[in-house]
Amino acid sequence: MKWRLRVVHTTGYRYDGPVAQSYNEARLTPRSDDRQNLMVARLETVPATRAYKYTDYWGTEVNAFDLFTPHTELKVVASSVVETAGQPLPPIDATWNEVRSAESVDLYAEYLEFTTYVPKHRELASVARRLRKGHTPQETVLAISKWVHDTLKYQRGTTGVHSSAIDAWQAGEGVCQDYAHLTLAMLRSVGIPSRYVSGYLHTKPNAAVGETVVGESHAWIETWTGEWWGFDPTNDIPIAHRHVWVATGRDYADVSPLKGIYSGGAATAIEVTVDMTRLA
Amino acid sequence: MSRASSRPAELFAGYLDPQRPHASAYDEMFDPVDGVRPAYKRLHDSLSPLRPGDLTTRSEALDRALVDQGITFSLSGEERPFPLDLVPRVITASEWARLERGIVQRVRGLEAFLADIYGDQQIIKDGVLPRRLITSCEHFHRQAAGIVPPNGVRIHVAGIDVVRDEQGDFRVLEDNLRSPSGVSYVMENRRTMARVFPDLFAKHRVRPVGDYAVHLLRSLRAAAPPGATDPNVVVLTPGVFNSAYFEHSLLARQMGVELVEGRDLFARNNVIYLRTTEGEQRVDVIYRRIDDEFLDPVHFEPDSVLGVAGLVNAARAGNVVIANAIGNGVGDDKLVYTYLPEILKYYLGEAPLLPNVDTYRCWLPAEHDEVLDRIDELVTKPVEGSGGYGIVFGPDASPKELQAQRRRIKTNPRGWIAQPVVQLSTVPTKVGERLQPRHVDLRPFAVNDGESVFVLPGGLTRVAIPEGSLIVNSSQGGGSKDTWVLAPRASAAISELSGPGLGGSGVKSEEASTPERGPELNIAQQQQQ
Repeated sequence: MKWRLRVVHTTGYRYDGPVAQSYNEARLTPRSDDRQNLMVARLETVPATRAYKYTDYWGTEVNAFDLFTPHTELKVVASSVVETAGQPLPPIDATWNEVRSAESVDLYAEYLEFTTYVPKHRELASVARRLRKGHTPQETVLAISKWVHDTLKYQRGTTGVHSSAIDAWQAGEGVCQDYAHLTLAMLRSVGIPSRYVSGYLHTKPNAAVGETVVGESHAWIETWTGEWWGFDPTNDIPIAHRHVWVATGRDYADVSPLKGIYSGGAATAIEVTVDMTRLA
Repeated sequence: MSRASSRPAELFAGYLDPQRPHASAYDEMFDPVDGVRPAYKRLHDSLSPLRPGDLTTRSEALDRALVDQGITFSLSGEERPFPLDLVPRVITASEWARLERGIVQRVRGLEAFLADIYGDQQIIKDGVLPRRLITSCEHFHRQAAGIVPPNGVRIHVAGIDVVRDEQGDFRVLEDNLRSPSGVSYVMENRRTMARVFPDLFAKHRVRPVGDYAVHLLRSLRAAAPPGATDPNVVVLTPGVFNSAYFEHSLLARQMGVELVEGRDLFARNNVIYLRTTEGEQRVDVIYRRIDDEFLDPVHFEPDSVLGVAGLVNAARAGNVVIANAIGNGVGDDKLVYTYLPEILKYYLGEAPLLPNVDTYRCWLPAEHDEVLDRIDELVTKPVEGSGGYGIVFGPDASPKELQAQRRRIKTNPRGWIAQPVVQLSTVPTKVGERLQPRHVDLRPFAVNDGESVFVLPGGLTRVAIPEGSLIVNSSQGGGSKDTWVLAPRASAAISELSGPGLGGSGVKSEEASTPERGPELNIAQQQQQ
């Protein structure tokens, strides 16, 4: 069975003073794959702009736009309708030898490397190795995700957009971005290729058709253990109807939903709202 | 002032001393058996009657000429001056023809490689190169994926560094595909030499180098977006504090185009404009001498003020051309360099006309171990970077330095390659009041206009001044030489004396470009972090 979901994501910036120029890139358009089908997507801005669209190296659809009228607030509204399905755990569970074969290591090299957000850490690696003992790669992914879920406390405000997996781990709390980064750091330390997924989460599992709920801009992980599959360490759940994916990359930096350069004073993010309506 | 008692032959006294360091190196003037090589016959005949004091007089005249031309160099910057040696380096027409063919082949192959890497990556899909080789390149810029230059050219200017091995054969030491610098030295050295030694030029048919800017401008105009009927080309410099500002300004002046800084440009709706006193002026081609990382804060260093916000997407939209293209560094990574034979075979179906220097790849376990075992006899180099930084000459290094280098290699095997100590060829060079063999390399400059690849006949010869030194980088105390490519005997090829402008006011763009006012510019290749 499929869900049809409408997503209306409002985000943007408020500036201290008028901004005369700004250059922005939005990565907010859901994509299609076996589990998800994008039906329609639209991006609007206030003030109005003309977007230039392109597909980046990671396959993400980018809307680039610049602004030349002085403004003190930039609002970006990304709306889409997608069909989603559940994703059972893959029946294929590769052996450690397959995951670590020269071929996989070469093919998925980018998803095995450490980054600023996903740094190498000796202590974390040893925890990951302990969790791996006696487990297949797929079981290890589940064990590590669960460990991250149990170790971090979901708490806004402790970590920021630039916090790394280690920052969150040491603080003992964080948000979905941190859960994903910490999981990636541990998976990569035991040689399981894994990537960051940016998207949305519908928050009500038994939502009625027509009901609009407050959704979340969300992040989870995908990992390769014979094939690519996703898991949500923040909630310790598999990817299902409620997950709408937008972009994948090595870490947050590759999929940043909205980034910009502007001239003028300081900027604060305006309140982000994600309205999600189950249409079918 | 001259020392009256010196005998003529004294200039070369002890030149071929068998006890000299690296005595097996190829000397470009003297064959150990047959004496003076034909290419150098006339030069040798002109030099040998000189007394050592004359050498000093000539050398002082050279220094004065350089000062007169206003060539001053920043001594505190990264790039130190190249003092000009008074003995030119001579390359015969046939030697040059071989070298030129090899360079053209290399540029063609690397163009195809870059187009593929930032496109479909067919060479990886076909299993010819490991994916990891590319994805681990520091200068593989994913931001450039999908940017297709209108005329397909990414390497508008290449500097291919070559050396001559013990047999005298040219080998490529490294490729420079980002913003290779030094061509201003080539032109200025020639002007200076022509002023001070007109007699030498009268006896040789030296091919001119002064029209470089004409070729560069033609290539840049040819690269423009299709809609631009009279393309507006600018030179983008990081500014006067850049060590290569002199070169940036010289090239802009000679091309008759504007020299601009990032703050002079802005993007609107994916079009780049230049702010001028007469208003906005659309820009079609940017010959930039700013590193990729500083080019556009939207896609690279967000704090950089050197570049232009929105430039990368303007190029992606096809409204402006960035020369050289973003991400070319993936083609001059020194590990990628070791795969050049595979790359040329894959794209051109050809074997390399110019061989590489033999190179060990530290990221392959077997070669890694061999490098660590023999580190005291090898040269170890970082795969990235220039200026000789990070290079360790095994035979000269202390056990402590070698140990530190072993650790660096073990920590990051991908980051290192190793080569046998190459015996760079030697050319007579003024040292004190004598001429002594000193090691040289050569950086020829190639300009691709999309139709053909032009190689400036000559190039920058760098010379290592300390006796026995093999490090020719200016940052390590090197000098330079005027590099003479001789015209074929039977050809009508233009030689340096056949046209006007020898020692004159430098190159003008003789072609029908549309000269505007041009301020100054310069060249830099080093990273700016």
